[in-house]
Amino acid sequence: MAMNSTIGKWGRRRWIVLGIVILFLLCAKSLGLTPAGLVPPDETRWERAGAFFKAALSPAMDYQDENVPEDAPPIWFKGLYGLLLTLKFAFGGMSLAVPLALIMGFFGSSSWWPEPRGWFLDLFLRGIYFAFRFLMSLLRSIHELIWALLILSAFGLSPLAGMIALALPFSGTLGKVFSELIDEESRDAAAALKAIGHRPLQTFFVGTLPAALPNLITYSLYRFECALRSSAVLGFVGIETIGLYIELSHEEFYYNEVWTYFYLLLALIVLVDFWGAGVRARLNSHKGACEA
Amino acid sequence: MSSAFELNGVTCRFGDLVAIDKVSLSIAEGEQVAFIGPSGSGKTTLIRLLNTTAVPSDGSLSVLGYIIADQSVESLRVLRSRVGTMPQHLGLVENLTAIQNVILGRGGQRTTLRSIRDLIIPSRSDTEKIHQLLRRVGIEEKLFTMVSKLSGGQKQRVAIARALFQEPEILLADEPVSAVDPARARDSVRLLTELSGELGFTLCVSLHHLELAKEFFPRLIGLRQGRVVFDGAPDSLKDRELESLYELTADEMMADA
Ligand SMILES: Nc1ncnc2c1ncn2[C@@H]1O[C@H](COP(=O)(O)OP(=O)(O)O)[C@@H](O)[C@H]1O
Ligand SMILES: [Mg+2]
Repeated sequence: MAMNSTIGKWGRRRWIVLGIVILFLLCAKSLGLTPAGLVPPDETRWERAGAFFKAALSPAMDYQDENVPEDAPPIWFKGLYGLLLTLKFAFGGMSLAVPLALIMGFFGSSSWWPEPRGWFLDLFLRGIYFAFRFLMSLLRSIHELIWALLILSAFGLSPLAGMIALALPFSGTLGKVFSELIDEESRDAAAALKAIGHRPLQTFFVGTLPAALPNLITYSLYRFECALRSSAVLGFVGIETIGLYIELSHEEFYYNEVWTYFYLLLALIVLVDFWGAGVRARLNSHKGACEA
Repeated sequence: MSSAFELNGVTCRFGDLVAIDKVSLSIAEGEQVAFIGPSGSGKTTLIRLLNTTAVPSDGSLSVLGYIIADQSVESLRVLRSRVGTMPQHLGLVENLTAIQNVILGRGGQRTTLRSIRDLIIPSRSDTEKIHQLLRRVGIEEKLFTMVSKLSGGQKQRVAIARALFQEPEILLADEPVSAVDPARARDSVRLLTELSGELGFTLCVSLHHLELAKEFFPRLIGLRQGRVVFDGAPDSLKDRELESLYELTADEMMADA
């Protein structure tokens, strides 16, 4: 009996794997993907790819562009400035996204619902719940690059547009995870507060939310790291972040400059990663101390 | 003396399961009562009925003179703010400090906005009061320590302080000592009964531990499969009744194992 079910499971797994392989081959074929496609069609492409990767070993210490005026700031300064802009967009976007996400996460969670509630209130709350869940799915189902194109074409190129393009999908993702973190929080404390006369909303704001707060902050920090990368990528649609400098240098084949910017961006991301890990460790240090 | 609780044929069912079965009893204000019985006998359910977070399926229950079935949601809430409850797992907010947890004891008597403010900037008089309470329960130096950094015994003290800050007329404690070692358990039970004597609140505690119940409580109520099988002073608890209280049926042994 047990043997049979194991075999059954294996048989099913094999079918699933086979199905995935077939799907891949179908996709590859319809996209015109052949192993030969990986090989550049002509010699100049090979040379260019080689030049690009060789430039990784010698990032530009000075502009490759001859037309840059003598009194222009050095390239590393321009790179740092680009990083600052990148940080500003990431931070600005997150500053819009987090409050939005808190509001949507609240309405997309159920742990603040009063108990008992009549059928009318129940239906009403469920309506709100699903409306906000849907809204959050919608926001995050569209990538920030697409949002950027939509917003830029509607409102033109402006820093605010970039921030909003970042904030919308991020608020959707943050809100969804916030609501889940809130609803997953242990209900022991909430039950204890309810038992001594706290109102449902009061219980939420002084019990459930504070209990979930370290998790919300940890997740927001993680998303901030993502926002940093996204903010850099927004440069490719013309918003002034380090991505724009990378794009412009790349267009002119100034590969050494590209690598200078790459390395600076990498350094920033590693730095923020370390910082985030430090904050996370401090916030979650209470875990383990008690849950022995 | 008026009564803290009046139960008349109170039954509480969860689906087909009868957790409390036609219980009638009366507890006067100021009394100190221990509920004893094996696990699954209905102690927690009885406590939840008394703090009105569970409702009787049958029978009538009144708390501090109020008939529960007749109360609105709001008046039940106000009633609960007069009855302290220490749940078995304490129900503290682990990543708030001791003072923040204790201040929430009075939340039922304050508005939501006031409670939020209490967490952020506690008033000077509350802080002083809580400092005194923590000194009384023996952890005054832990005022601003995060609860998650405290030991099991210290957490229990925070829960007691939260209940005291509420200034309840009745305190219900569900197996308050199930998670601490025997010596600490004895201290905690003694502290609760002393405080009840000092401050005059009615005390109802469920205990797994018969010896502690006999030592500290003038009245024991024995539960078995949701029924009261004993109600009286510890010295009148005869061996035969003890046996009927703790002799496990085959089912219960399975559940305990
Ligand atoms: N919320 C609930 N839903 C279903 N069954 C419950 C619930 N609470 C308690 N019970 C059942 O009621 C009986 C009494 O449980 P409880 O009051 O917790 O006993 P004790 O606290 O003495 O161990 C047990 O059989 C338990 O499984
Ligand atoms: Mg119990």
